Amino acid sequence: MKAHRNAPLFLVPMMLCACQYQHYQSDFGGAAVEDRQFLTLFWIFLGVCAFVYVLVVGFLIGGIVRQSRASEAKVVETGRHHESHPLMRSTFIGWATLIGAGLVGLAIASFFADRSMAEAARNAKLSVKVTGNQWWWDITYNSSDPSKTLRTANELHLPVGIPTHIQLQSNDVIHSFWVPSLAGKQDLIPGRDNDITIVPSRAGIFRGPCAEFCGLQHANMSLVVVVESYPDFIKWWDHQLQPAPQPTTSLALAGYHYVTTGPCSACHNIGGTPASGQAAPDLTHIASRKSLAAGMMPMNEGNLYGWVEDPQSLKPGSHMPTIGLEPDQLHGVVAYLETLK
Amino acid sequence: MPVGFASRQPLLGDVMQRVSGAYIVTILCSACAALTACNRSHQQQSGSATVYGSPPSGDHATRPAAASPRDDGNWVMPGKDYASTRFSGLNQITPQNIGKLGLSFTFSTGTTHGYEAPPLVVNGTMYLITPWPNYLYALDLTKPGAPQKWVFKPMPAAASQGVACCGTVNRGAVYDSGKIFFNTLDGQTIAVDANSGKQVWRTQLADIQKGETITMAPLVAGGKVLVGNSGGEMGVRGWLAALDEGSGKLSWRAYHTGPDKDVLIGPRFKPFYPMDRGKDLGVKTWGPDQWKIGGGPMWGWISYDPATKIIYYGTGNPGPWNAEQRPGDNKWATGVFARDVNTGEALWFYQTVPHDLFDHDDINESILADIPWKGGHVPALLRPARDGFFYVIDRRTGQVLSATPYGYMNGYKGVDLKTGRIAFNPDKEPKPGRITRDVCPAAPGMKDWNPSAFSPLTGLVYIAHHNLCEDIAVQQANYISGTPYVGADVKMYGGPGGYRGVVTAWDPIARKAVWEFKEDLPLWSPVLATAGGLIFYGTLDGWFKALDARTGKLLWQFKAGSGIIGQPISYRGPDGRQYVAVVAGVGGWAGGIVDGKLDARDPTAALGFANAVKDLPNKTTPGGMLYVFALPR
Amino acid sequence: MSSHCRASLLVLAVGGLTLAACDREEHHSRSKPIGETVAAGQSPDTIFPGGSQPAPLDARAKLYDNNANAIAQGQQLYSQMNCAGCHAHGGGGMGPALMDNEWRYGGRIDQIAATIAEGRPNGMPAWKGKLTADQIWDLAAYVRTLSGLPSKDSVSSRSESMSTGTPQTLTSHGTIKNSDSAQQ
Repeated sequence: MKAHRNAPLFLVPMMLCACQYQHYQSDFGGAAVEDRQFLTLFWIFLGVCAFVYVLVVGFLIGGIVRQSRASEAKVVETGRHHESHPLMRSTFIGWATLIGAGLVGLAIASFFADRSMAEAARNAKLSVKVTGNQWWWDITYNSSDPSKTLRTANELHLPVGIPTHIQLQSNDVIHSFWVPSLAGKQDLIPGRDNDITIVPSRAGIFRGPCAEFCGLQHANMSLVVVVESYPDFIKWWDHQLQPAPQPTTSLALAGYHYVTTGPCSACHNIGGTPASGQAAPDLTHIASRKSLAAGMMPMNEGNLYGWVEDPQSLKPGSHMPTIGLEPDQLHGVVAYLETLK
Repeated sequence: MPVGFASRQPLLGDVMQRVSGAYIVTILCSACAALTACNRSHQQQSGSATVYGSPPSGDHATRPAAASPRDDGNWVMPGKDYASTRFSGLNQITPQNIGKLGLSFTFSTGTTHGYEAPPLVVNGTMYLITPWPNYLYALDLTKPGAPQKWVFKPMPAAASQGVACCGTVNRGAVYDSGKIFFNTLDGQTIAVDANSGKQVWRTQLADIQKGETITMAPLVAGGKVLVGNSGGEMGVRGWLAALDEGSGKLSWRAYHTGPDKDVLIGPRFKPFYPMDRGKDLGVKTWGPDQWKIGGGPMWGWISYDPATKIIYYGTGNPGPWNAEQRPGDNKWATGVFARDVNTGEALWFYQTVPHDLFDHDDINESILADIPWKGGHVPALLRPARDGFFYVIDRRTGQVLSATPYGYMNGYKGVDLKTGRIAFNPDKEPKPGRITRDVCPAAPGMKDWNPSAFSPLTGLVYIAHHNLCEDIAVQQANYISGTPYVGADVKMYGGPGGYRGVVTAWDPIARKAVWEFKEDLPLWSPVLATAGGLIFYGTLDGWFKALDARTGKLLWQFKAGSGIIGQPISYRGPDGRQYVAVVAGVGGWAGGIVDGKLDARDPTAALGFANAVKDLPNKTTPGGMLYVFALPR
Repeated sequence: MSSHCRASLLVLAVGGLTLAACDREEHHSRSKPIGETVAAGQSPDTIFPGGSQPAPLDARAKLYDNNANAIAQGQQLYSQMNCAGCHAHGGGGMGPALMDNEWRYGGRIDQIAATIAEGRPNGMPAWKGKLTADQIWDLAAYVRTLSGLPSKDSVSSRSESMSTGTPQTLTSHGTIKNSDSAQQ
């Protein structure tokens, strides 16, 4: 959690050059075709607008200078404005043409960006459903073979170069899907199907914060996106489909019994065990994930202890209750959860 | 000024109250007017038959002799015979003399939950099995007034009431070789000596901790007692078990989800359609682990062909109701199995509704009949299914010969006879986050468990069924063992035409209705057909009615003390006369609003059924009374 | 009276109302360990031989009853813990109706909490091993809204989760009757 305390220090260099921050969460990441489109558009818009801006400002300054010279010379306008100076006239025409061309150029650029994104959506090879909940992300990978359907949470894996269609739904309030380095934003609206298509172009780990205020813990609702090569992605998928390993140590076994029969199982699912709750994040391979509590903190033993023991201190208002585990129960539960790689 | 300020507030409040009062009165008045109008239209619709044709005159469906022998005057199993005809060969009571039919004797069972079981009659003794707490009564028919011989109280767990989805009902006991077999709500199968009322054996089969109960009537066939579990709304894993008739030991158990070895699928398994072929489909047509809590129970009717030693039955709905949570075809839920009764091996399977969307369990009766088909004769199953199609299936292979809607439907587009696959209407597919309106038939289907009767004399199947539609909204269901696993809010109401129930006389060969008798309330009662040319059934508000089997004309009716959902039977008494018996006791899914005192201001009560029978608490009260009728001496 | 004075009175009134409203919005997400704090065995009985008195209302009742946050949390748990599967949205089904203000085991919030925690013999499961005391009290607070018992201003007109049920504030409730054990 050190990073949080030092956040203001990071802010300055981030603002100066966002691209230096490993593109973990950056609009300039360009890590997906969509973001590159945006980026290209951004540069074109910036260029065109900057050019026009410079021209306008230039003319303005020129005008001021001319005006002040004229006043110095005490030249009185003769009031023959209807007889435009031929130079003035061609300048006006040129100016209008320039603006017209600029606008048409921008329209064409955004039209093509839009087309190419729609094109990617048409060729989607992978279908994922992301459901927003207060305050976590429920992720389901669809497959033509239903037994390979994968349900996980808070960590989205995407293969490089594969157009992935993401269905966006919400179980409670409006959330918004936004992975700045890849694509977005797109809202998740209860009772409505939204979608977005992403073609990641390079491997990496990116952050996607919820981009629509969704309640008390909105700030602690983020998504970790792992983009990896296609073979790695398939390996990950196959691994995630495996049932949870049997606990081997007596401590982990005690934790297994508590988790699968106690309050945890009323909400959480752990594949291959009697815990089949569907109301909270799937825990089958929780220890293989990079973060805990929806991108709130890194996955490690200490954070697991803290989260399991007293989630209401770390994330007040979240739907994970503080159960009040006895110390030996807590050791067991954490030991068991750590085996869920 | 503060005075003025203070006095303005209540004034405003007063006006608001008056406005809202007037508003409420207006709404109430218009609601009353609408209700009266509705009632009037219901009454106009019910009470007379609509005749579309006459029963087939030439070659028609007949019953197989081995499965449906000549009537001996007894009634030893709910389906009357292994062919599940519910046809009594007695013919003393006829359309000509039924006007004189009168009450012979009554008996109060002392329970007030939904009574779905038929009485059994074996050689001068009548047996009654009540809903929970599952008392088994024996009445002596040889003595005047049929006094009680004995009562057996199995003491099932009270907690089992909390996991029984749709009433604490019991669908009947069965008699074979000196013993009465029945199931208890908490999952036991019990054999009782038919003479002494002493327990012979009892076997615990289902586990209420997993949400399993047993409500079905067992079937005794080939020395086996066949029992399945209930709990498709509780995330159980469905099965059918066979117990040894003599000892009660488990002989085999076939699951309805999971790997082939659990489903008892082996080399003899030959489904007709490619969609039902493949290895371990009970695992591969589900999301990971979902088959373990996927439902597919068996709480309905089994038929048996003694000539081939094969049983036929259907499986219940996959769970949860929210189909989004269970991608795939969800085998082997919602389909028909043929199994070898000795080993339990599956012989063929036909999935009526792959990936069920509307809780359309396929546990309805399979009537064994031999039908004329394309110049020859085919041994067939006649199945008026919950999804609204009347299936005629070749029972040797599992091929669907015809599938025809026998009422109004819009949830399905039809059944492709080439692939066997049903086509959903995409407009009516429930999706999370929205309400799908006007889906017909509703969750209880065109017809629920209440079995139809087949008369070999007319060749017609007499179906008492619903005309109900529903609004449905699905959401993520959470699985906690022993609690409901549904994920849907449903609100049911009467379908087009202004009636909620109808008795249809169906010609399975011509694939059309011969006559229809419309009823105001939904029909939750089984049907009895007799050789005298009569049809008997009951209504939810307690009318016990007799119709002419050929024309559907109402010939006789009797008002019982409670709504009738129990199966009527007909038997020959020790005095040689023909009797008709039925138990009145409203309840079950349809009548739960009465015996469970549900509150219909919530349209989703009783999984949406309460809304369809809002008026029922004003028309009947709970009960549990046997009524036996006979002609005067 | 000057308009200045009027304005300040108005501000005072609004401020007072706001403060008064705080009570019903109080959040308490922290809860004590299970077992210790569940209202165990608040007897639903109403006959007290020898003139003894019914147990006084549990002190925690006022934390949850009429508390908008507790009711909203309870509403979400009501659907997530499958209460709706048996009791529907108050109309009942496998379990009895909860909106008719008829209480088999007592309609006080502590009695309802005890029913949820301990279960009841005719099929109501005992939830104390699955839910925390806080969650059970939240549920009890919500269950009372089904019969229209808490004040209307603490009840959300909008469900926390997707539902086809009628909003709480629009459901018509019968006149509240003092059944045996429900003490208003």
